[in-house]
Amino acid sequence: MKISVPRRLMIPASVAGALLMLLMPAMPLLAAAAQPAGVTAWWVWVLALFVFSFLLGIVAVLAGVGGGVLFVPIVSSFFPFHLDYVRGVGLLVALAGALSAGPPLMRKGLADLKLGLPMALVGSISSIAGALVGLAMPAQNVQLLLGIVIISIAAIMVMAGKSGYPEVSRPDRLSQMLQISGLYYEEFGQHEVSWKVHRTPLGLLLFFVIGFIGGMFGLGAGFANVPVFNLLMGVPLKVAVATSGLVLSINGSAAAWVYLFKGAVLPLIAVPSIGGMMLGSKIGAKLLPKVNTRTIRLIVIAILALSGFRSLLKGLGI
Amino acid sequence: MSDRQREGGYADRVQIVYAKTLDYVAHTVIVVMAVGYLLYMTQLLPLSVPIETIAGNWHLSATSMQAKLNLPCGWECFSAPAGILHGDVLSYISVIFLSLSTLICLASAVAAFISEKKYLYSTIAILQVLVLLVAASGIMSAGR
Repeated sequence: MKISVPRRLMIPASVAGALLMLLMPAMPLLAAAAQPAGVTAWWVWVLALFVFSFLLGIVAVLAGVGGGVLFVPIVSSFFPFHLDYVRGVGLLVALAGALSAGPPLMRKGLADLKLGLPMALVGSISSIAGALVGLAMPAQNVQLLLGIVIISIAAIMVMAGKSGYPEVSRPDRLSQMLQISGLYYEEFGQHEVSWKVHRTPLGLLLFFVIGFIGGMFGLGAGFANVPVFNLLMGVPLKVAVATSGLVLSINGSAAAWVYLFKGAVLPLIAVPSIGGMMLGSKIGAKLLPKVNTRTIRLIVIAILALSGFRSLLKGLGI
Repeated sequence: MSDRQREGGYADRVQIVYAKTLDYVAHTVIVVMAVGYLLYMTQLLPLSVPIETIAGNWHLSATSMQAKLNLPCGWECFSAPAGILHGDVLSYISVIFLSLSTLICLASAVAAFISEKKYLYSTIAILQVLVLLVAASGIMSAGR
């Protein structure tokens, strides 16, 4: 009997399969390399990290999530690096991704400075605080909390809806004072979309919380920024996604300094991760119109839940 | 009106300035990081700490590794000019440059906001620059 696989499912299935194949051998290697005089040559890990980051970059774009949120739980669970360095790299990966995607989005008016700057201001302060707290806590506790956060993110990704063009009947006073509103050209429907926002004070509060979590665990916080902009504040989805990149580049940069001064950034593992993720993101963007993103999103949620569970076990010392 | 003109018409001057700066910075960061890492991996320049030593200790926390190897942290790598001419230190400096990139873009936005007489956003952008400067100064440190 011949089993036929729909063409749209082949690319996501191949990428996810490659990811899993890379993770499988990493598990036994982990135990060996975790010893001070690891039996695995250093370059094997560095090369594996580059390949893994490249695949993650593809998957992250196809699944519509930031690279950092996938990078930290998976690499900290399956590679021999201490969590401190993985979190430091996670922030830089998120920052680099946002930088490379930023210019065209800003020129099109999709990433909006007036919307992003007030949120980034509160978020960057709390992300520094989060990084300080995260680096001061015992690594095992951070790993345990990371597991809980990642499983919660997977749950949010399953449950959170999205709205292309939310209705905002009356903008709040703070958003009026800050003149947060905009207009962009929707290429898909070939029409202009004007937008305004509401619930800005609550949005600011949530960005403070998101910034803290991002800094503490080294996560790019697109998974949370986008629903707050889109579902809470009424920002159109495309503007929410683009402005989220702007916010996380500022928050990530602020928290990254804390990790840099702590010695928690090793170029040996940071640069291949950043390079792999940036290359993978470019490939992912090209594959995007050709694949079934729903399938890959489900696979990513499953991988996230798995790595969150593994983080939990590691945190519990199991 | 061409697509490009149409796209540009939806971003104000400050956004365009920010985007241009970001474009230059992002490309420079990529080149600097690639060159720095190439020098590191090929060992064309000497290393301050051998790669094998880093790899043998990357399972340790940042505090423990610092106590053992005393790697350069933050701006320390600029304290001894001769120390810069090491492959690993140059690669580290490229990462510092990446972390500075947002600060550079925001500084350009501050200038653009001021020239546009948008004082509220000038203030917000200046505050944001100050937050990043405080972070980059290393005043705040953590440890376990």
